[in-house]
Amino acid sequence: MKQRDVAVSVEGVVKDFRPGFGLRVRRVLHGLSFRVGRGEVFGFVGPNGAGKTTTLKVLMGLVRPTAGRASILGVDVGETESRRHVGFLPENPYFSELLSGRELLHFHARLAGVPASARVRRVDTLLDWVGLRAAADARIRTYSKGMQQRVGIAQALVHDPHVIFLDEPMSGLDPIGRKEIRDLILRLRSEGKTVFMNTHILSDVELLCDRVAILVAGRIRYEGSPHELLEGTEREADVVAARVTPDTVVALEERCGARLRGHGDKVEIRVKEKSLQELLAMLLASRAEIVSVTPQRDSLEQIFLSAVEGRR
Amino acid sequence: MSATVVAAIAGNTLRESVRNKIAYALLFFAIVMIGSGAIVSSLSYVESGRILQDVGLAAIRLFGVAIAIFVGIQLVYREVERRTVYTILSKPISRAQFLLGKFAGLTLTIWLQAACMGAAFAIVSLASGAPLAWQHLAFGLLVGVELALVVALATLFSSFTTPMLAAFFTTGFWAVGQLTRELRDLGAASDQPGLQAVTALAFRVLPDLQSFDLATEAAHGLPLTASDVLLPLVYGFGYTALVLLLAVAIFERRDFR
Repeated sequence: MKQRDVAVSVEGVVKDFRPGFGLRVRRVLHGLSFRVGRGEVFGFVGPNGAGKTTTLKVLMGLVRPTAGRASILGVDVGETESRRHVGFLPENPYFSELLSGRELLHFHARLAGVPASARVRRVDTLLDWVGLRAAADARIRTYSKGMQQRVGIAQALVHDPHVIFLDEPMSGLDPIGRKEIRDLILRLRSEGKTVFMNTHILSDVELLCDRVAILVAGRIRYEGSPHELLEGTEREADVVAARVTPDTVVALEERCGARLRGHGDKVEIRVKEKSLQELLAMLLASRAEIVSVTPQRDSLEQIFLSAVEGRR
Repeated sequence: MSATVVAAIAGNTLRESVRNKIAYALLFFAIVMIGSGAIVSSLSYVESGRILQDVGLAAIRLFGVAIAIFVGIQLVYREVERRTVYTILSKPISRAQFLLGKFAGLTLTIWLQAACMGAAFAIVSLASGAPLAWQHLAFGLLVGVELALVVALATLFSSFTTPMLAAFFTTGFWAVGQLTRELRDLGAASDQPGLQAVTALAFRVLPDLQSFDLATEAAHGLPLTASDVLLPLVYGFGYTALVLLLAVAIFERRDFR
């Protein structure tokens, strides 16, 4: 990746915390390094306590790294200017309950340096975008969780940033709210924005992300596109068939490496995806009845779990 | 440093504080106390106007400080605890701008409340026939500076500790600030050089808040020189600036975990 194509760069970042009276040191990030390209949707995946939010806080300047450096659009995160073109939605965002949604957005627009002449129109556009126009002048304390999340997204986008950081953006949302966020991320990608997303939800990663990094205990175990990650694994499929003769069972086990389990008069066969065609041909040739073929869709989850358990 | 950003944060803090109904409770009691001065003074045959003003001016000062401490100690802590600071500091602003904006917004709020108390005091004084003079304006000016200093202390402690401890430290500093001159004089009268040095150092480090108290001069119409007002004014702004510098230095080093 060329330097000018890099939106986010993290190089050897170490973060130590001193809990309690500061006599002990707890290392949360162990020399983290990765890059996010401009225009990418980047998924940062990991179990609770892996260091995802700490990494995001380092990038936002909320936490100072113990060692290493990080930059956004080429500007070190220690400098205020690094956040000029950045939007941030924290996990479970909370805003002053004494302000209305419109007042909050105007306040954040002023902080972000949106010119006064453009502010009113920009705020109105965003209120429409996130579906809060009708509730714009109500106090935030009357907002539901979904509405707070939406006003949080609006404040992150109020200055039309180039890079958007989202910390667990689907957290606590109902299926409709999650779909809206997914649509929003796709829209941001189509506009050429860079999106950095901390998430647990692997189906979203598979659907939305161009690249993904799996963080476990403060270290990156994987980095690449979801496609690349899945390519490195042998995907499997489940076939359910009826009228499978004992000879066919033996042949399937020997030639296709299939694993079979009986369910009454039916047999469930798990087979590597590369052997699926051969297996189906053998079943048809033996006049067995094929009831269903189900490709396994949780491969990313398997990779994730393997990474967490240290098997890969 | 962009003044626009500081003004935006100050304006927002002022708006939130004005909408926070809890702060009005103390203001209500202050006005009740100022009004009660008229009742207390009516019980006296002599100098009833002065008694009224003594009570009223003391109420303005004490309740002003109480509101400054009560609201000030939560100033930064609440923003960090509720994580509202995350979205604010993710904008291109420095932590110093954030802290100064919060300080300015709260100081404006406290000054507005002090002005309300002052208006109540003026109405009660005029209604009771007690005289109002320029010494009262001087009193108001210096109380304003003292309140700004107390807000700065509350901001400092609120930037790194809990509201309970911040309240303890701020109240402690304010209380000690009423006694620093006595402390210095006590040390000077001692024949122990060590004690002299310690009390002299304490006088220089701790705030000298007695110089802001012109209540006696205002209530009794005693003469004031320009230096009685200007010197505390310069001292107050200087001390406030130093406290804010320290608060910024501490806040800059904080990790928001």
